Amino acid sequence: MNAIDTAIRAAASSITLAGISKSYDEGAVVIPPLDAELRAGEFTVVLGPSGCGKSTLLQMIAGLERVSAGRILIGGREVQDLEPKHRGIAMVFQNYALYPHMSVFDNMAYSLKVAGMAKAERIERVNAVAAMLGLAGLLERKPGQLSGGQRQRVAIGRAIVREPGVLLFDEPLSNLDAQLRHDMRIELAELHRRIGATTVFVTHDQVEAMTLADRILILNKGRIEQFATPREIYHSPASVFVAGFIGAPPMNLLPVKGDGAVLRLADGRAVAECRLSGAFQLGIRPEDVLLADAPAADAVRATVRYREDLGSHSVLSAGLDADTGLRIATPFGFDPGSAGEVFLRLPSDKLHLFDAETGRAIPKRLQQ
Amino acid sequence: MVENARSLNIVAGLILIVGMVYILGPLYLTLTTATQSYEFVLRGGLAWYPGDQFFNNAMRIFTETRIPIQMLNSGIVAFGDALATCVLSFLSAYVLVFFRIRWAGFAFAAILATIMLPLDIRVITTYQVASNVLSPINALFDVTGLNGLIANAFGAPVRLEWSVLNTHLGLIAPLVAHGTGTFLFRQFFRTLPADLVKAARMDGAGALRFLVDILLPLSRSNFAALFVLTFLGGWTQYLWPLVASSTPNMQTAVVGLARLLPDSDGAVPDFPMIMAGAIVVSSVPLLMIALLQRYLVRGLVLSEK
Repeated sequence: MNAIDTAIRAAASSITLAGISKSYDEGAVVIPPLDAELRAGEFTVVLGPSGCGKSTLLQMIAGLERVSAGRILIGGREVQDLEPKHRGIAMVFQNYALYPHMSVFDNMAYSLKVAGMAKAERIERVNAVAAMLGLAGLLERKPGQLSGGQRQRVAIGRAIVREPGVLLFDEPLSNLDAQLRHDMRIELAELHRRIGATTVFVTHDQVEAMTLADRILILNKGRIEQFATPREIYHSPASVFVAGFIGAPPMNLLPVKGDGAVLRLADGRAVAECRLSGAFQLGIRPEDVLLADAPAADAVRATVRYREDLGSHSVLSAGLDADTGLRIATPFGFDPGSAGEVFLRLPSDKLHLFDAETGRAIPKRLQQ
Repeated sequence: MVENARSLNIVAGLILIVGMVYILGPLYLTLTTATQSYEFVLRGGLAWYPGDQFFNNAMRIFTETRIPIQMLNSGIVAFGDALATCVLSFLSAYVLVFFRIRWAGFAFAAILATIMLPLDIRVITTYQVASNVLSPINALFDVTGLNGLIANAFGAPVRLEWSVLNTHLGLIAPLVAHGTGTFLFRQFFRTLPADLVKAARMDGAGALRFLVDILLPLSRSNFAALFVLTFLGGWTQYLWPLVASSTPNMQTAVVGLARLLPDSDGAVPDFPMIMAGAIVVSSVPLLMIALLQRYLVRGLVLSEK
């Protein structure tokens, strides 16, 4: 712990989004009115597919995009009409956006200089942050002379040197190669544990989301699909979209019909017990599907189409009929036998039911 | 494509040699003529080989003609043109690229039009405006009928007059109205990452600070390239200085060179002295190209993109 850690921890502010929306003149609505409460010191990951409005949301919090309606509160203060510099926030950009003609030191000190801080204090602050991020030996270099990971660290240093109440990240790891991305992910997690800044991190990579987030906000077409901890998101997805978006391979989704006693596939085979009736989407994770040894009353027959060996385990693609299939995680090298037939059991406590029409999850207690 | 056939190499070499002779031949004759005496030319014929009179001829340029003061004029015009073009282009490209302006597309099209309508083809209208810069205001007074009222009240209509002909300002200003520089800077600004301006905003830099702290240092070599290009263009301008300057002391060196030809018919021009003058006058741009070639190439590449 040094001065800069404690200063940032003390500055961490909550963010309240109250009915903010974004639409353009042509009538295209990017984000319909949206409410969310991000706690102080929390690491929130905004996750969604390309074009879901997650970057727009971040830029509205940053003040780089105007909100069409609604209010943004940072630390209880209304900021939606303020310039970025008055919001107490800092941002790390996707391609770093370092000033190419300035040294690492000047890059980090620029915002302090603009704010009119005395030179001695600037030097002290930048040195503290540089030491924290392992940049102390690189302060005289230009961004062009740095590696990708070092540039990333400079960009982070430039953001935290101002001791912001909120730290924003716009897909900061997407330009790095796989190995470096993994290392930076761990570095970011450590940094967050150390400085405890309120962090909003935008990404389309679910691994980043699952590993970094305290809570994940999943956006789809500008709407919040679910805002919960990674554990909840994975184990009780709130909608078909979340279920199909999270997990690799994602959750299996089968159209089923309930007759009040069992859920049946389109061809009439029963797959699970359930008292509900109507049309549903049945979801089950590949690793939750059990394989039965022999034909049993409660097992469903499926034909194996192909097998992917992933080293730690194998993923079977099995067809229930011509149109529907599911993926099953099995121990590595599982051999379905020459007939290529397997018998699947879907444990009822691992099933997720979604309304066929709205796609929303049906609470567990109603399913029994 | 790299061909290795011997016959092809020979043909290509021959074509190159023909091209070089075509270009360098006249330059060689300029050099040799400049080193001969007037009498040599009077005896007739082209000077195929160099003589020993170059120093003499060059001295006469400095003592007997107005080329020295005209070179000063050229310098003022070229420097003023280059400086004003750089500043104006930089600022207008900044506005075009970094601000969301509804009619930016129209403004850019209008700027591009100046590239397609060079000064040479609008020299007459430019001359009219230069002869009275305030004539549009007069016209405005006439069209709106205001002048009728003023004539009734004060006895005479408003007739504003301000001629910039035969002044340095008049020589420079029409040359500055040229869109190449704006285009060059615009293309450069658009290669900068869009996040750069956002990062500067997050750091608290306003429009002016971004311009001075970020954009200006990044544009240094573009400035140099545009400055060199415009300076060369200004130095070698012929038509506009010819019509806009009426006294020898206001003419530029290139115009002055042409005026070294005798006015009377039948007299043999003093070709050695004129050619020596041509060499003296072109030594400035030559020197510039030699010293700043790096930037010049960069500028040419950029403006072609």
